[in-house]
Amino acid sequence: MTTTPVTQMLLDPGMDLTLRPMRYPHFFDRFKDAIKNTWTVEEVDLHSDLADLQRLSPAEQHLVSRLVAFFATGDTIVANNLVLNLYQHVNSPEGRLYLSRQLFEEAVHVQFYLNLLDTYVPDERERFEAFAAVENIPSIARKAEFCFKWIDSIYSVRELKTREDRRAFLLNVICFAACIEGLFFYGAFAYVYYLRSRGVLQGLASGTNWVFRDESMHMAFAFDVVDTVRQEEPDLFDAAMEQQVRDMLSEAVECEVQFAEDLLEQGVSGMSLADMREYLQHVADRRLSALGIDPIYGSKNPFAFMELQDVQELSNFFERRVSAYQVGVTGSVSFDDDF
Amino acid sequence: MTVTHDKTGVPEQRRHQMRVRKRSGDLETVDVNKIVKAVERWVADLDEVDPLRVATKTISGLYDGATTAELDKLSIQTAAELIGEEPQYSRLGARLLAAYVEKEVRQQGVATFSQSIRYAHQLGLIGDETAAFVAANARKLDDAVDENQNLRFEYFGLRTVADRYLLRHPQARTVVETPQYFLLRVACGLSTNPAEAIGFYRLMSSLAYLPSSPTLFNSGTRHTQMSSCFLVDSPKDELDSIYERYHQVAKLSKFSGGIGISWSRIRGRGALIRGTNGRSNGIVPFLKTLDAGVAAVNQGGRRKGAACVYLEPWHPDVEEFLELRDNTGEDSRRTHNLNLANWIPDEFMRRVEADEDWSLIDPSDAPELPDLFGDEFDAAYKAAEKNAVKTVKARDLYGRMMRTLAQTGNGWMTFKDPSNRLSNQTGAPGNTIHLSNLCTEILEVNSDDETAVCNLGSINLGAHITDGGVDWEKLRSTVRTAVVFLDRVIDINYYPSPQAAKSNPRWRPIGLGLMGLQDAFFQLRLPFDSPAAKELSTRVQEEIFLTALESSTGLAEQFGSHPSYAETRAANGDLHHELWGATPSQTERWAALKARIAEHGLRNSLMIAIAPTATIASIAGCYECIEPQVSNLFKRETMSGEFLQINSYLVRELKARGLWTAAIREQIKRAEGSVQGIADLPSEVRELFRTAWELPQRALIDLAAARAPYIDQSQSLNLFMSAPTIGKVSSMYLYAWKAGLKTSYYLRSRPATRIQQATVSVAPAVALPAVALPVVSDEEALACSLENPESCEACQ
Repeated sequence: MTTTPVTQMLLDPGMDLTLRPMRYPHFFDRFKDAIKNTWTVEEVDLHSDLADLQRLSPAEQHLVSRLVAFFATGDTIVANNLVLNLYQHVNSPEGRLYLSRQLFEEAVHVQFYLNLLDTYVPDERERFEAFAAVENIPSIARKAEFCFKWIDSIYSVRELKTREDRRAFLLNVICFAACIEGLFFYGAFAYVYYLRSRGVLQGLASGTNWVFRDESMHMAFAFDVVDTVRQEEPDLFDAAMEQQVRDMLSEAVECEVQFAEDLLEQGVSGMSLADMREYLQHVADRRLSALGIDPIYGSKNPFAFMELQDVQELSNFFERRVSAYQVGVTGSVSFDDDF
Repeated sequence: MTVTHDKTGVPEQRRHQMRVRKRSGDLETVDVNKIVKAVERWVADLDEVDPLRVATKTISGLYDGATTAELDKLSIQTAAELIGEEPQYSRLGARLLAAYVEKEVRQQGVATFSQSIRYAHQLGLIGDETAAFVAANARKLDDAVDENQNLRFEYFGLRTVADRYLLRHPQARTVVETPQYFLLRVACGLSTNPAEAIGFYRLMSSLAYLPSSPTLFNSGTRHTQMSSCFLVDSPKDELDSIYERYHQVAKLSKFSGGIGISWSRIRGRGALIRGTNGRSNGIVPFLKTLDAGVAAVNQGGRRKGAACVYLEPWHPDVEEFLELRDNTGEDSRRTHNLNLANWIPDEFMRRVEADEDWSLIDPSDAPELPDLFGDEFDAAYKAAEKNAVKTVKARDLYGRMMRTLAQTGNGWMTFKDPSNRLSNQTGAPGNTIHLSNLCTEILEVNSDDETAVCNLGSINLGAHITDGGVDWEKLRSTVRTAVVFLDRVIDINYYPSPQAAKSNPRWRPIGLGLMGLQDAFFQLRLPFDSPAAKELSTRVQEEIFLTALESSTGLAEQFGSHPSYAETRAANGDLHHELWGATPSQTERWAALKARIAEHGLRNSLMIAIAPTATIASIAGCYECIEPQVSNLFKRETMSGEFLQINSYLVRELKARGLWTAAIREQIKRAEGSVQGIADLPSEVRELFRTAWELPQRALIDLAAARAPYIDQSQSLNLFMSAPTIGKVSSMYLYAWKAGLKTSYYLRSRPATRIQQATVSVAPAVALPAVALPVVSDEEALACSLENPESCEACQ
């Protein structure tokens, strides 16, 4: 149906301001969908978590403190990359609408984890240490290094003029979608849901549910960007690039496994290191498949509690707030609609 | 423990040496065979269960040096996690858990029921009367315990019982009763002789009937608060009264009650305060305080307090009221813990329909409005319109209500006039129902100094089906037992507030409900929206109401009618279904009943209320109250953790057809529990297994309206809409009002987008919107088709 021929491509440098005709309506749809999922930190009730924290074994407490330390800075890193790299190069006003929305969501996540830390870690000195984890705790520092490496790789590029620039940019997008949001965060979510399946730390889990929902959308958008570029400029994708993506994911898996070694070092029943490694490999394979690249590991998901995240939730409202309502319902009063 | 860094990607070898720490402190190598044997003990009739699978999976999740208790817990969890593949693992998980619980009880030196009561009494948990009753009848009661009844539990049900219902040692937090002791304890707390207690215990342990949670929590204990619902009248329009209500709500909440409270008498924002010559800040700041109060009260550590605020739509602050649950805006004007309900006079709905104006009136200008209904309300309202604070279009306000429902699920639509006109309690002038309760199934009169109370219990209809039909005799027998014990609660109950203690003995209302209607339909293979389903549901409700009234007049014959009987419509010879104008099927029994009522009166002013049964349906392992299934595959999130629930009727059906395969399971999961896309299933089977999202909501309303004449209070009716629009929702609620429903409950909708599924396989990268499946509403479908007619999936 398109009457306007595609004269401009998504990664062409510039500041396109034209929303009509709309070149990428699927980006706009994602923007609208994201708005319906608005949530605020105040809705998450953390009060029962405090009692749970006391009940946890020392091994589980160690797990939680490391996890929270990762969350303290994780979303901020993602937000920085969004502003410094993504927003600059995705030259589509509707795409930038989505990214603006994503930036807001990252900010809410940062606020959520800030609130969580302030609640979980009442001692001020310990709180400062948690935020300094990105420098002081080796297993977290290594993940941060990985992130910064890929931020820095294109930070100095102002315009994507060459094919090499564009490939570098795509690798940055894929890194943040597949490795950071798609693997590091998915690893972290597994710990949260493990605890959740044991009936503890529901405040953390319900906030994480919403974060998880948002992150799923971010990842989907980023993959959408990659697919769009693939359609516009298929020659950017070749065997060498595939190999780079595979190497990047292997490195990410190793980063996350060494984080798991730290988290699980004291022994957590129901979450062995071997199972965690298999889970991470499984997730990495999925990211590769989504990018049309052959999987590396052939691993299966060993965690039944992660399967629970795939099915519709039904909360007993006496106990928990249902997280399934919509914001942004449209239409006007009428008496003869079908229902 | 050594960890191998594995760069080649070959799956790592399992560690060979795995040791557990025994209670003695010694380390012992884990032996798969030992775990297999422990599991095999409980397999019995579960022919699809593979003990080796449970054992190996358990060991894989274990770490070196874990304790034996951790090993036991992990094996239970592991069994439960296999439910998605084979529902029989649910029973296995329940049995392993029962064994674990029993071990914990026995380790405290408790060998029998009577010992557990004596022990718990020493610990200060059991009341003196129950302790004495059990001591006096120890042998009979001990002999009645049937541990085999544990075999009936599904995992989620028993997990719920174990985590939240069994009495615990105050310091050690170990459980001091087994699941069967617990049910017998509940029975003993309400009985006058052992035969009666044993009969009631057997009914409950067969899971054919369960009293509501407060009764299960507290019967036989030192705090016998066993009522579920309290309906508190609006505070008077003065500060002392408002603070008295906060205090009352806190006390009621502490002992597991759910609160409904009206706020219609409190003046709105800007109204004059004579004492200070200032202007009122309206109801929102006061509700914010109520919100904090409710959140602070923890119901015995078992669940958070919960309350619903009712407001009539002529109140000047109604628009701000409807925003209380929004998640944007000024947080000081938001109440995240309160539920909201609109208490709507017919006049409002008439004006919505006719597209007329609607006046907002300050209660200080028309203080009589909350106490009036029907013609008297209409006249007083019209007279008060002269002093209206503000005039709005009725449809605009209705649209706001619909928006709140669609966006938050809250802001329930409940109808003041039919609730009053069709109530047995409003037979005398001055008796008015001012609100419903937390779950919109209770409708009882109250006043400033009387707080209405109701205690509840629900029949599991799924447990009353035999040979292709309802076992009517069994159903009648269950109703008779249930009525006696619901009535008994009224006298034994501890009332947390004097207002509640004053109301309940006068009216003696009970709320006998129903659960597992969907189970009955599945067993009889009736699609939820079929005429036969409606016929059966109506017939069942008539039988329950009729039998309950027969029992109540029988109790009146023995103990006298309830003190306020003369003020009821029954005293004038009008029973609820007659007020409704319904034609019953059992005319002779009704005639005989009416003659007996004329002679003896009734022991209870109200009999029937269909509560949501969220927790007790879980314990009984059936679908909630009168609801269709929400999904063939879903998870429950509760304080005990997350639990996979699978439709075992569907699994049976698929197995019989050789379709219970990994591929089909994945397909169902991908479709969020729908089977409509499974082409190998015949259409009549797909029709039977539709979910609440796939049924026409009109049918749910029609079923509710058809059974309503035999429900003298009301029903917690949820409605479901995946992608609500204001147009659809407003049409639906107008229809519900016209159908004569007294109340409705949540509008359930689904998230606009969802988490990417982590465990179903990824769709190939070619199709663009492969990842999250957004829910698309009508307007959006239109918008996207205009922008992008080729790639819009919603239209295909």
